[in-house]
Amino acid sequence: MIVYLRSGGKLCDLLKPDVDEYTRKVDVADGLSIEEILATLGVAPVMVAFAFADGKVKRLDYVPADGETVTLQSPVAGG
Amino acid sequence: MTPPDRRLTPDDRERFARQLELPEWGDAAQERLRDANVFIAGAGGLGSAVALYLTAAGVGRITLADPDVVELSNLNRQVLYTTKDAGRDKVGAATDRLVSLNPSAAITPLRERVDADSAPGLLAGHDIAIDCLDTLAARFVLNRASFEVGIPMVYGAVAGFTGHVSLIEPPETACLECFVPRKEPPAPAPVLGCTAGLIGTLQATEAVKRLAGVGETLAGRLLVVDGLAMRCDVLEVQRDPACPVCSSR
Repeated sequence: MIVYLRSGGKLCDLLKPDVDEYTRKVDVADGLSIEEILATLGVAPVMVAFAFADGKVKRLDYVPADGETVTLQSPVAGG
Repeated sequence: MTPPDRRLTPDDRERFARQLELPEWGDAAQERLRDANVFIAGAGGLGSAVALYLTAAGVGRITLADPDVVELSNLNRQVLYTTKDAGRDKVGAATDRLVSLNPSAAITPLRERVDADSAPGLLAGHDIAIDCLDTLAARFVLNRASFEVGIPMVYGAVAGFTGHVSLIEPPETACLECFVPRKEPPAPAPVLGCTAGLIGTLQATEAVKRLAGVGETLAGRLLVVDGLAMRCDVLEVQRDPACPVCSSR
């Protein structure tokens, strides 16, 4: 299935975007979670705090649907 | 005994004229702000914007907690301070600035770190807590304390060009630990100064609305600002049935 992963900042560098400046298109096996997809790309789970899709915050065990765009969020802790 | 006259004074009417004219605002909202007691945890980049705008808006009592002193490297984002404040304790310098902005505001400086032992006692008696801290660990302490004391908390955090804002209303909404995992990034995080100003100003907006009882807040929702792409997402956040803080209620 095709999943579009979107991000910004350092995480974007790791994703190596190919659709636009922020988005990477990946072709992965059906049923993989976000965490499992990240593993296929060599992105450590510690680099991602949570994801969001369809207007909702998603944990990394979320399984995207074919064609879905998922935005990845790095840990944010500064003040 | 005659109760004290709590109506707005002529000085109040002049100072706050531009917001008193708002159809959503008026005397009742302004009086609620004047009577409010706010706890701001952290007097850095977020805390600077929050403290300045809450003081300017007419919040009557503010406790500002931070253990640090002003350093030159703070001044790209911590707009409460000037170069001559370098070396001063932040809460002392902040109090001088805030009182000069609005002399009727009662500012209580606390030069201490908010930790697990002290947090519930420090928050008691306040109407709202505002998270302007600089680590996730400290945020989780404030989150738990606000849950225990039963007051709302305005969450805010920044890194680079990115920021988060949400309003946590215990026990109704998801708390911070429901949607932010314990993944502490390296500190200090690089940040563009105006990102902190933007997010802090949004936090102040949420606090003002919540205290005055106007508008729709971010309760149960997370605002994610990506300043690099200049994109904002408002996301639904849900309670975690296994949350170590709030799942028991």
